[in-house]
Amino acid sequence: MPINKNALGRYKVIDMLVRNNMRPYPTMEEIIEACREKLGIDPSVHTIQKDINRMKLDPPEGFSAPLEYNTSKRGYEYLDPNYSISGIPLSDSDIDTIKESIDLIRNIGRSQMSEKFNSAMEKILTTVLEEFPQANSKRQILHTMTPPAARGFEHFDLFYSACREKRPVSFVHYSYKKREFKSITIHPYMIKEFDNKWYIMGYSENHKLLRTFGLDRVFDPFILKKTFISPDPQSLAVNTHDYYGVFPIPQQKMQKMKIEASALATEYFQAYPIHESQKVKKDPDGFSTISFHLIPTIELTRLFLSYGRHVKIISPEWLIEFTENLK
Amino acid sequence: MSAKNETLLFEIPELDTPKKNPKVLRVLISKDFTRIDFGYTTPWYYDKGGWIKISPKTYLQAEGFPEKYALKDAVGISIAPKRINFQSTEDWQFFTLYFEPIPQQDCVLNMIEAEKPTPNDFNYYGIMLKMKEGAVTYT
Repeated sequence: MPINKNALGRYKVIDMLVRNNMRPYPTMEEIIEACREKLGIDPSVHTIQKDINRMKLDPPEGFSAPLEYNTSKRGYEYLDPNYSISGIPLSDSDIDTIKESIDLIRNIGRSQMSEKFNSAMEKILTTVLEEFPQANSKRQILHTMTPPAARGFEHFDLFYSACREKRPVSFVHYSYKKREFKSITIHPYMIKEFDNKWYIMGYSENHKLLRTFGLDRVFDPFILKKTFISPDPQSLAVNTHDYYGVFPIPQQKMQKMKIEASALATEYFQAYPIHESQKVKKDPDGFSTISFHLIPTIELTRLFLSYGRHVKIISPEWLIEFTENLK
Repeated sequence: MSAKNETLLFEIPELDTPKKNPKVLRVLISKDFTRIDFGYTTPWYYDKGGWIKISPKTYLQAEGFPEKYALKDAVGISIAPKRINFQSTEDWQFFTLYFEPIPQQDCVLNMIEAEKPTPNDFNYYGIMLKMKEGAVTYT
């Protein structure tokens, strides 16, 4: 049976009092008083007695706490003076999972995490390595691509906090394509990752539209004390689910697109579907017609182009022309 | 209206000034400094994009007032005689100049790099700042 949050709070209070060398051997009354003070609750003697009994049980029910009443001192004590329940009780399976997770975390790459997440992760890794030193020397089994941190990623924490607290942000943006700087005020609602690139999405005061900006082109953001403009929930649904990539092609709505894929390209599209609307109609020779129902994006056309002669756009007409112009 | 110890941020629209590059993007006024953000794109007519620098004698002055506010620091651009050399005509640079704090009151601000400017000097005129239009920042 899992330990509930209230009981865990009482266990921690008992543990804290029993380990206090300045005032050892706390009495039942002192424990109840401490619960009142620390937790704002008024537990009965019966409740605390039950807590003490449960703490003595072996995991997973309890903590194997060597907790006893010392009759001569008229208070509670740990028979092992170094004992504490603060060491998190883990099963063998928990330990294995943590070890595997360490591998995964290392592979995701600390450079990919923001300063705040990095610091939290550092604490976890240090604690786990203290607990299981062998985790550090284990042969690496998982491996993922970990490129160096990208420009602009240092703003992740600021945008994360602005999204969470609903605060507008002013920043300077540089457009690679237009070779133009602009001062932008965004009311951000989401940070998006695509293809190892990070983007901030929100309502742009300057464009009067929902817009997406690559963090690599964002400079010196400042959180502003002004009224936040929440995006229209309907636009949000469209923006987050109905396209592949980040930048929709202007003036294009949700529509059906068809490509012809070689046998080789078909294998990849089947193995790695790019959108939930993807449908593959396979021919006897292994070639296929693949359809998608989504909002066309720059990233989608680039994906098609990346397959070279293995992918040919069949429809719509305008997309054929548009993609030709990207070459 | 903001308290005087808050930092006000102004987005600057296209200035009616002959100097378009670098472009003035934002002005921030705090009790400790006045900050101006610029964006520069290297032009085609300089070999490898040329170079940029800012004179240490650059100052701010509000139109109709005698006080001058001196340049204190620069980030993303070198203070002369040092300079930043570009590598191509496709390069670009975001930079920031910090000046002494100007009073938080409506004004038309000029930035003067040279009293008798050449086309290469970064002189800007007519940066209009209306305090009620400034956004208060959290920094």
